[in-house]
Amino acid sequence: MRRRLLTAVMALLVVMPATVASATPSAVPTTTPIKHLVVLMQGNHSFDNYFGTYPGADGIPKGVCQKVNLLVKTTKGCVTPFHISPTSAPVDLDHGPAVQKYQYDDGRMDGFVAAYRRLGQDGTGAMGHYDGRELPYYWNLAESFVLFDRFFASTRAGNRESYLYWVAGTAPSSPDGVLRDSAGYDALPTIFDRLAARGIPAKFYVENYNPRLAGPASGSRSRTSQLVKVPLLSMSRFRTDPALSGTVVDLSQYYRDLRDGTLPAVSYVVMTGSSENPPSRVDIGQEAVRKMTSALMRSSYWATSAFLLTYDGWGGWYDHVPPPRVDAHGYGFRVPALLASPYARRGFVDHTVLDYTAVPRFIEQNWSLAPLAQRDAASAGLASAFDFAAPPSQARIVGATRAAPPPDPAGPHASTAIYACYGLALVFAVGLMVWARVRRAQRPRGRATRVA
Amino acid sequence: MIVVDLLRRGAPAGDAPGSPGLDVLRHDPRLAPRLGLTVALVVGAFLRLWQIGSLGLNSDETVYAGQAASIAGNPAYTDYFPIFRAHPLLFQSLLSVYYQWSDSDMAGRVLSAAFGVATIFATYKVGAALYDRRVGAIAALVLAVMPYHVVVTRQILLDGAMVFFATTGLYFLARYCGERLDRYALACAAAMGLAFLTKETAVVLWGGVYLFFMLSRTMSIRLPTVFGMAVVFSGLALAFWLALRLSGAARTGDNYVVWQLFRRPNHTLAFYAQTVPVSIGLVVVAVAAAGLIGRRLAWQEGLLLAWAVVPLAFFELMPVKGFQYLLPVAPVAAVLAGRSVMLVFRSQRVASWTRGRGRLAAAGLLALMLTAQSVAVWPVVSPTASATFLAGAGGLPAGREAGTWVGRNLPRGSVLLTLGPSMANVIEFYGHRQAYGLSVSPNPLNRNPAYVPVENVDRELRQGNLQYVVWDSFSAERSPSFSAKLLGYVHKYRGIAIHTESVAVTADDGSVTHRPAVTVYEVQP
Repeated sequence: MRRRLLTAVMALLVVMPATVASATPSAVPTTTPIKHLVVLMQGNHSFDNYFGTYPGADGIPKGVCQKVNLLVKTTKGCVTPFHISPTSAPVDLDHGPAVQKYQYDDGRMDGFVAAYRRLGQDGTGAMGHYDGRELPYYWNLAESFVLFDRFFASTRAGNRESYLYWVAGTAPSSPDGVLRDSAGYDALPTIFDRLAARGIPAKFYVENYNPRLAGPASGSRSRTSQLVKVPLLSMSRFRTDPALSGTVVDLSQYYRDLRDGTLPAVSYVVMTGSSENPPSRVDIGQEAVRKMTSALMRSSYWATSAFLLTYDGWGGWYDHVPPPRVDAHGYGFRVPALLASPYARRGFVDHTVLDYTAVPRFIEQNWSLAPLAQRDAASAGLASAFDFAAPPSQARIVGATRAAPPPDPAGPHASTAIYACYGLALVFAVGLMVWARVRRAQRPRGRATRVA
Repeated sequence: MIVVDLLRRGAPAGDAPGSPGLDVLRHDPRLAPRLGLTVALVVGAFLRLWQIGSLGLNSDETVYAGQAASIAGNPAYTDYFPIFRAHPLLFQSLLSVYYQWSDSDMAGRVLSAAFGVATIFATYKVGAALYDRRVGAIAALVLAVMPYHVVVTRQILLDGAMVFFATTGLYFLARYCGERLDRYALACAAAMGLAFLTKETAVVLWGGVYLFFMLSRTMSIRLPTVFGMAVVFSGLALAFWLALRLSGAARTGDNYVVWQLFRRPNHTLAFYAQTVPVSIGLVVVAVAAAGLIGRRLAWQEGLLLAWAVVPLAFFELMPVKGFQYLLPVAPVAAVLAGRSVMLVFRSQRVASWTRGRGRLAAAGLLALMLTAQSVAVWPVVSPTASATFLAGAGGLPAGREAGTWVGRNLPRGSVLLTLGPSMANVIEFYGHRQAYGLSVSPNPLNRNPAYVPVENVDRELRQGNLQYVVWDSFSAERSPSFSAKLLGYVHKYRGIAIHTESVAVTADDGSVTHRPAVTVYEVQP
């Protein structure tokens, strides 16, 4: 009996460190100074749609004009890229596999308008693009941290697959290339399983999370945004296993975790109401992202954090870079991706070829976990975006506007003008006073005034 | 002992105690005044530099120091402090030389204190020029320990430097009146030009010069001399306008003039009467005034009175009142007080009243003045234990500490909402973070053109454009309604106090308690 008790105590002592480690992410050993990773997936915009005119990035080439019909040689009536004004009507482009294939046009990337014309749609809107006027915060983030201009969607089409690659490094195949429902990947291992096995805390934050919308589903229920964006909800273990059931939570918990000091090591975030998925307004989503990142930057976690924003697909928008063929499913077109961290390179445009699996790859590298699938094992990860040799940059809240601060009415030569004018005046005045005193000294002193 | 020695200059040898050391003073009539001047300069420097950094800069000081740093192109300040605001830039230009290499907040105070000590010397010269060295030395001693002059010249304010140049101008004017040499008039205009380039309100002192020559029966000035003075002064004043034009900021000054002329009064008409005589020293004022009663006034008194009366009248009528605006009167009061002491020293009537001890009475009067001044000045130079004080009369309690904390702990790019623009200036100077004052009116007619209002505070807080709120007791006591409004925002946006700076406050029973002076809240959109 005494021996059993001793054994039990010894076992408890062995288990305790692991328990403590799971409660405090900062105690978990990492290969980099990054102790907290927050990744956010927004919806349906191409790189050129958001950053096509960003200086220093591989943006929209000069002279681009997309034909309206690929079957004719003439470029008459072709559509050139144009800036989407804030008053423009919202555009919601079809972005199914057929459209993607036509736009891709065997790597010629010239069917972005024609793909819609052949369907009887206008398609001109596909050539629209935003810039710093509509996306001030994202452009400011890019100027302060890292913008990826070779970040591709993991698959040619299908948002559901994008989220699966994001969390599992792979996605099950489907007959027509697009998963129609959320059933069929219940047993797929995810990065959350890997983290849980090591006792590393992780959460999946969902904006407007509805716990009743969970479980493998088909039909219209399966198409709900929440089930598409949160593959974990279609995996029964994340509902039934006590160790995993608390993984998916509402986004409001993210702010509580920041405030209460309970932010996990890895945080996945998706937006539903504040999605930028067209025809939703980009400024709504941008504002939600700003709120999230600002809260992180203001928190004590920022010094050891990294934040990655990317998009679940190109959304039908024009992009000029033909995606590399890495396997039967991908890559898809480029999507915007931004990385912010005190250790991120500053104002850096990263040309490393990446896809969504760079996220699980970075987690695996940072927390020494085994790869989930071939894609993530082969991914370059996010290492190129960091500079761990340099000291971390001071916490900084990125501005929401790109308007220059009120200009100083003084011009660039103000200092010179001031020194010249006031300096000359001072020399002249002092010289005059000294002259008066010196001349006085040369004259005989005569004092007639005395106290009355 | 020095006081008695100072007064005994030229006295019969038998009057002095038989100390061998004092013989030197009797044989060299210049030594005692020089000794008095030296004491005045040393004591004056001590009082202006003692614990000069015990309190951080207040709002006005941060503006002038920030301007100096911006002129120097110091990147830590250029985003927050535009070069051109309301006043000319001579003082700031001189201070900017320091900011080329460093950015300590105390450099400006040391420069201001240097001008204060130089003014003691200039006052000595005025007294010596108008009367004699003894009057000058007594005036220097009085000014050295005058709380009004000490408190202003311990701060980065333009008035201390301006008064130095103006007093120098007064000295040259006194020389002109005494010796009738035009070059003194031109030197006076040059000094007045520098005073104007330091603070434009110095132009008011020309009114005193005009009044003096208009009313004086014995003094006149030739038209060519006036023309020469006008050319010299105008030529120097042109530097102000020229710097604005060459910098492309010509309209900046106009905005301030319009605002200053039409803004609402910030104090009652009794403001100066309640604050300035006490700060100059009631004994000094009484002694200076007593010397003018019942005697026929010479041109010297006429000049001093004209020099003081015009700014008194002008700033009394001006809607905007500032504690330090009447500082040009301080050297005049000191010289008149010195004159009164010497009158007592020489007065036969006083000698008969005191049975031949008139000189001792004068010494007692001087000792009384200096003692009263010293008692009054000590709290000024000691660290304050109060959380309330008059604007322009000291530093801002805990402002520097709060601003430094902000700079060290809040992310760069943070934007703060403060109660008023004063704390916003302090936060921007020490914390290098953008700050906006809640009390800054959106109506351009009711606000300083330098300040940017928050048009819709709710919207900015809700959108996360303002991430922190700063409450301070100094501003709260000046505007309780805005304090309540600010704390309402803190409550509404789930503010969490993340830092508090406290100051020691002495209660009525003498006990010292710590009272929150500045609290920084983090608010959630």
